[in-house]
Amino acid sequence: MSDPIPYHSIKVDEKKCIGCVVCMKVCPTKAIRIKEKKAAVNAERCIDCGECYRACPYGAITPLTTKTSDITRFKIKVALPSPVLYSQFGSNIMPDQILNALKAIGFDYVYDESLACEMISIAIEEYLERNKSPRPIISSTCPVVVRLIQRLFPSLVSLIIRMEPPREIAAKNLKKELSKEHKISEQDIGIFHITSCPAKMVSINKPETMEKSYLDGAISIKEIYNQLMAQLKKEEHNFILQTQSQASGIGIGWAISGGEIRGIKQDASVSVSGVHDTIRILSDVESGKIKNIEYLECLICPDGCIGGPLTVENRFLAKSHILKLIRKFGRKNRIDISYVKQLYDKNFFSFERNIQPKPFPPLDPDKNEAIKKLKKKERILKNLPGINCGVCGAPDCESFAEDLVKGEKGLTIGRCVFLGE
Amino acid sequence: MEQETILSEEFEITGGDFINGGMASCRIKNILKEIGIDAEIMRRVAIASYEAEMNVVMYAKKGKMKLILTPHRIVIKVEDEGPGIPDIELAMQPGYSTATPEMREMGFGAGMGLPNIQKNADIFNINSTVGKGTNLQIVINLNNKNV
Ligand code: SF4
Ligand code: SF4
Repeated sequence: MSDPIPYHSIKVDEKKCIGCVVCMKVCPTKAIRIKEKKAAVNAERCIDCGECYRACPYGAITPLTTKTSDITRFKIKVALPSPVLYSQFGSNIMPDQILNALKAIGFDYVYDESLACEMISIAIEEYLERNKSPRPIISSTCPVVVRLIQRLFPSLVSLIIRMEPPREIAAKNLKKELSKEHKISEQDIGIFHITSCPAKMVSINKPETMEKSYLDGAISIKEIYNQLMAQLKKEEHNFILQTQSQASGIGIGWAISGGEIRGIKQDASVSVSGVHDTIRILSDVESGKIKNIEYLECLICPDGCIGGPLTVENRFLAKSHILKLIRKFGRKNRIDISYVKQLYDKNFFSFERNIQPKPFPPLDPDKNEAIKKLKKKERILKNLPGINCGVCGAPDCESFAEDLVKGEKGLTIGRCVFLGE
Repeated sequence: MEQETILSEEFEITGGDFINGGMASCRIKNILKEIGIDAEIMRRVAIASYEAEMNVVMYAKKGKMKLILTPHRIVIKVEDEGPGIPDIELAMQPGYSTATPEMREMGFGAGMGLPNIQKNADIFNINSTVGKGTNLQIVINLNNKNV
């Protein structure tokens, strides 16, 4: 892990990229341009949603997650699987089997993240009760949603719940407990999230709300899948169906959209998933169109984290497996509520520092210049064909006009194939 | 008092068009983002202009919304051809509404429109003639750092 820390969790493989425009078209923040027949990601605009990775037909977009071989540098290695993992191996394999399999492939400890999810459900309820700040309060679980708000909806940053997501809370707890138990430094304990999205790498490498993340990496479900499958096959005969895992349906439910609000008693909460629906609802919140909602859960992937870009199982089947598990494990809290409240009072769940808005730069830093450019952009746009073909290397005519007025190097209106040189 | 206008844009609003209601305020929001208006100010403009736009959609035949930007302030002017407001003082009271049950069913007409505009504006003027229409003027000052 000596390479420079990546600022983003995806990389374009220039050898495989043929500049086909598919990724550029799906990018929700218009961060991609095709330059010299290759996709180029503008780091300022990228929010790590993984849409380009999903869409690329040539496998040219690579997620930058932690390799399993990287974990060996720690004395104690801990796996912290997202409850999504329980949905990936069919509906007959139980969480306990998966946790055991993780241990068998090289982790010293395995901690079920769904326990932390259940804890956070209780803490969210506490937060909603105690904080009378403007509504709706928005979930901080999905790191992509946090970035989207910082970039596209900076005025909503103050609505984000000032509470760390389950993965960080679990890791914080584990580091403390394991270092006490084994009398070793927290630095010798490596905690790895088993994840459905590359975006976790960004929140680990460049955390927004704390100095340093408690997690040491995120391993892709795709990367670890075959190993786990082999292990599960090998040990299949040793397991009798068991449901004694400590988790409850509340925690496991966090794998799907609506899971977070299912755990809280607030009636006026809403869950939204998918990048376009998330953008739409946030835009409505920004206009004050959304009234009387207490809590808003947004997850960038379709159907929530089970639709994450690094999953293996078909997301509809995965959803069905999770729903089955929720029924099986029930809605009863397994976590001691008074313990969570104690931790809450000690600010155990709170952000160390607030999230900062990071709006996209305006057309020009000088307001008068920006207005001039806005008018120029409108004039250019009138001349462009408006069919958004993408052949110029920008995702649509509006972006092309914007690149032109921003004075993009070497770019002329002649790049439009309909207008010609 | 009058300041030099550096940007002026006008948008049409169609009464009764709940589907496209909100488009004008959304356009205004995007323009302000593109020229780098502070996020908090942008949000106040977004909320006030959305409420004003929806008032036209709900009650009037048609209307116009105008965005005027000067070095120190953002002005939103809304003119509609509608029934007018007989008692402005009453209409300004939170919770007062003449919305039909259908409108309420759709989540509109909680009687917070005008008070909400006022809450978000630095200056708010309203003129109305019964049988002719209503004019609103919403002024939001820019901070010094925006000048
Ligand atoms: S990860 Fe998302 S935001 Fe970033 S370049 Fe890809 S599609 Fe665009
Ligand atoms: S919805 Fe879940 S899987 Fe998708 S980006 Fe957000 S946290 Fe990651």
